Amino acid sequence: MTNLLKTRFRSCLLTTGLLATGAVAMSAMVQAQPAPGGGTLRTMINSDLRSTDPGVNRDLNSDAITMHMLEGLVAYRENLTVGPMLAQKVDLSADGTTYTFTLRDGVTFHNGKTLTSDDVLFAWKRYLDPATQWRCLSEFDGKGAAKVLDMQAPDPKTFVIKIERPSALFLGQLARIDCGGSAIYHRDSIGADGKWATPIGTGPYQWGEWRRGQSVELTRFPGYTSLEGKPDGLTGGKIAMAEKLRFIVIPESASAKAALYSGAIDVRPDFASRDLDEVKGRADIKTSTHPTMETNGILFQVNEPIVKDVRIRRAISMAINREELIDTVTFGLTKPVNSMVPLASPFSGPVQKAAWKRDIPGARKLLAEAGYKGEPIKMIVTKRFMSLFDGAVFVQSMAKEAGINIELEVLEWAAQLDLYSKGTYQSMFFSFSARLDAALSFEMITGPKAIQTRKVWNDPAAQALISEAMIVSDVAKRQALFDQLHMKFMDELPMIPLWNSVDIAAWRSNVTGYTTWAASMPRLWNVSIR
Amino acid sequence: MLGYILRRLLMTIPTLFLVSLAVFALVRLIPGDPVSLMFGDGGTPEQIARGRAALGLDQPVFVQFWLWLKKVATGDFGNTITDGQAVLPLVLQRFQVSASVVLVSVAMAALIGVTIGVIAAWKQDSKLDVAIISLTTIILSVPTFWLGLLLLLLFGLKLGWLPVIGYVPISENPWQAMLFLLLPVATLTLHESGVVTRMARASAIEVLRLEYITHARAKGLSEARVLARHVLPNAFAPTWTLIGLILGNLLGGIAVLETVFTLPGLGRLLVDGVFARDYPVVQGCLLFTALLYVMVNLVVDLFYPLFDPRVSAE
Amino acid sequence: MRRRINLLIGLPIVATLGALALTALVWTPYSPTATRIRGRLLPPNATHWLGTDEFGRDVLSRVMDGALVSFRVALATMLFAIIVGSLIGVVTGYLRGWTDRLIMMVNDAMLAFPGILLALAIMVILGPGQSSIVIALGLAYTPSVVRIVRGQVLSLREKEYIEASRMIGNSEVYTMARHILPNCIAPIAVLGTSMFGWAVLSESALSFLGLGVPPPAATWGNMLASARGYMETALWLSLAPGLCITLTLLGINLLGDALRDWLDPRMAAR
Repeated sequence: MTNLLKTRFRSCLLTTGLLATGAVAMSAMVQAQPAPGGGTLRTMINSDLRSTDPGVNRDLNSDAITMHMLEGLVAYRENLTVGPMLAQKVDLSADGTTYTFTLRDGVTFHNGKTLTSDDVLFAWKRYLDPATQWRCLSEFDGKGAAKVLDMQAPDPKTFVIKIERPSALFLGQLARIDCGGSAIYHRDSIGADGKWATPIGTGPYQWGEWRRGQSVELTRFPGYTSLEGKPDGLTGGKIAMAEKLRFIVIPESASAKAALYSGAIDVRPDFASRDLDEVKGRADIKTSTHPTMETNGILFQVNEPIVKDVRIRRAISMAINREELIDTVTFGLTKPVNSMVPLASPFSGPVQKAAWKRDIPGARKLLAEAGYKGEPIKMIVTKRFMSLFDGAVFVQSMAKEAGINIELEVLEWAAQLDLYSKGTYQSMFFSFSARLDAALSFEMITGPKAIQTRKVWNDPAAQALISEAMIVSDVAKRQALFDQLHMKFMDELPMIPLWNSVDIAAWRSNVTGYTTWAASMPRLWNVSIR
Repeated sequence: MLGYILRRLLMTIPTLFLVSLAVFALVRLIPGDPVSLMFGDGGTPEQIARGRAALGLDQPVFVQFWLWLKKVATGDFGNTITDGQAVLPLVLQRFQVSASVVLVSVAMAALIGVTIGVIAAWKQDSKLDVAIISLTTIILSVPTFWLGLLLLLLFGLKLGWLPVIGYVPISENPWQAMLFLLLPVATLTLHESGVVTRMARASAIEVLRLEYITHARAKGLSEARVLARHVLPNAFAPTWTLIGLILGNLLGGIAVLETVFTLPGLGRLLVDGVFARDYPVVQGCLLFTALLYVMVNLVVDLFYPLFDPRVSAE
Repeated sequence: MRRRINLLIGLPIVATLGALALTALVWTPYSPTATRIRGRLLPPNATHWLGTDEFGRDVLSRVMDGALVSFRVALATMLFAIIVGSLIGVVTGYLRGWTDRLIMMVNDAMLAFPGILLALAIMVILGPGQSSIVIALGLAYTPSVVRIVRGQVLSLREKEYIEASRMIGNSEVYTMARHILPNCIAPIAVLGTSMFGWAVLSESALSFLGLGVPPPAATWGNMLASARGYMETALWLSLAPGLCITLTLLGINLLGDALRDWLDPRMAAR
């Protein structure tokens, strides 16, 4: 399990000038240049906060809110490599099993207490306690990326984790946003009853007021100790420019749009691509876009009738005019992706990028060979993700031209997810959240169906290739493995990848400093409002 | 009278038991599951099983129902799955929002509707009457959520006079609250006054034809007095029943309007609860609505004799 | 006189919309589901009289097809509720006793929910689709039919001619079918008419909440729901289906009034 993330890890040490052998203490006390202002920056969430317990009872909205209050030892950078956050450096022992985190000086919690390794140990003990129900526990208890054997706090500035075997995925898992970034919080965050109470973290904003069903408000933490330099992903210099952040619950995207236009909110993350055209002419709305590693496409359950014939799956793929479809659905924001490897991945090479052409006669020929006579093929889709729904409507229409009878079944998200988990459907339009390594991208669809019903690619040979790609660290060798996987994948086609999502945000012209990025998580520090 | 009330209250118990059974069964039949929803595209079977066990969802449905029923009987509706807060206070808090919209609208609709209805009846078959009837027929035909959307577009987006989303409780800032509530209340009032007007007109016509009105007129009472003393009170009785019906229906049924105006009311709590598969919330909302509906009907029946001297409760 | 006016206005409206729906059965200007990437959100023009939607589909064709789907759903819902409701109502009202008490308890429990909520819950369970919506709305409306029919039966069964029918040895079923049901027709017809209107409205409300007839099939409700995001820039998308629902309800309400006046002479005098 030494691979890309290891390289990333090394590069993180290099770029901060903190090599494992001779670390130089660095001052983290420097206040970054722009001065914090006043005002309330209002943005939206599409459902209420679930809880502020990091990586436990959470969803994307909860992650977005807690990330402004809580920070972990390491965090994702803008380019999705892992960089130090609360740790000023991370040393890895020669045998690759002992991580030594040296904490930054002068970091204080929202309650004024200074961060020590004891706090780190406390938080980590709670994470690894099964009773906490941390979503990422399986990555650290030996089932997934690593097995933690021991944790220690030998002195107030040092925290040591010992794992069973070297694992290149370790730091990457630590930074995972859905895991709450393994955030370090003060023990007073836990109430007297042993349950999570209020988040007391080290972030630029602190807990304010929660009006359930309406809004969550965070206020500036005046004692925030920022890292030096520019903001960089979820790490780097952070300044709470706006005095308050308000996350308003707006479940309907049409209402959210109206709210932005009328000035009821200032920033609308997750803006719909279909609305971009319409705001181009408006002086009061600004937008920005950035490609992400989220993969959208059509999943097939290859045991189900009709779609079990690979010729049918290929015919569907050949019926799609990818360029036109993706150009329309994403409003020209991105190109088709033909592989499980996202376009933004360094492993998206010539093999993965080879263009697929629309071929209606070819599709008809395949259909004839397969003896297809217009039997309906059910395709599940949800209206929750509009570009996905748009894509499905166009795919249905394109497939019709090749004589393929796709019946769309629009379900609400929970019902679709249920079918996804159970693996009981013919085909569905689905969106996979970003996996930050190509091996993980393949892993999310591959596996033994008998045990993991949600998997669609039940191929031991592919499984072996993926496992190998997780171990090999040589870039060229990995590329060769991914090329091989891609060809095999194309051959069997358990999924038709179509495009990688684009992070789109829109904000009112009195807002400055908002940026979109590959992890598409809204960041409201360093964003000011006039 | 007291005996009658007690009897009516006792009769609601089997109804409510059946309702809670139906509610529980309905909710569990909905495909999807709150735990897999939380894990999204990456939940492993073990993780999901552990999450379900923690919520007690791994127990047999009958056991779950029994546990829930026992708690409900003591007034504890359980806690939400999404954020763990107690369901009953949540339901009550959201109900306040729905209730403030519905009560204000229905009260205004009753005032406007009964007045216009009685006037129309008094001037039966005149041009005014025809105009009123035509107008109400048209108003009744416009779907409220469409009307709401059009009003929102006009006053919120085009003119920018009123906020398009959000809510402030009346207790906090009455002026602000009014701004947020104006459009939903106006939409509902417009629609419901149509309903009430027609009903009030029909009842008033019936009353006007009765002998004692002729008698009152013959006695030399002025038209205004006849209307105020005899027609209005008697025409109000059937309207009162209708208002009860409207109230019950609206309290549960304004989910759509709450969606249009992004109001954090009971209806939206329910719809969001369904989408999030938050079983305790859905159960709580449905049971509460049913309880309310039954109670409103009871109150309407009890008060009916007050408005209609011809009927007694017994 | 008012009855005539109601009929004179209501009938043409309903007839026109009905004709629109029937035409859609055999012909629409364009395919209601064919997408055209290069012709999205066109305002009304000579080739697309009502413009095109966000998928480049012809709005007029979709309005016509939507009429067909909406009417079919409403009609089926109405028939479902009336047939099931009348059967239960007649049986329970005629038999009385424990069956009646039990059925009415369940019936009251169902009536304790506002119809749309019950329909919503059933919709989520059954999943989207035209048949699910018919079942959901039909079930939600059945209890009120049961109540009305039962009331009618209870008051009828004491009448002399019913007694007479029984006395001369006619079977219970015959008595019910021959004498009781026909007498329920008037109130059922009135209820059925307004139920048709409710069904059109409820279908659009459910679609609006995302739980109605699933797209890409057109119904006025889901057209209105998807037009919502374009209210400011493409108002025509919202106006066409909105006006259609309004006109349908208007026509049905007027027809219903006329029907009630005709069937109930006591009311007609008003």
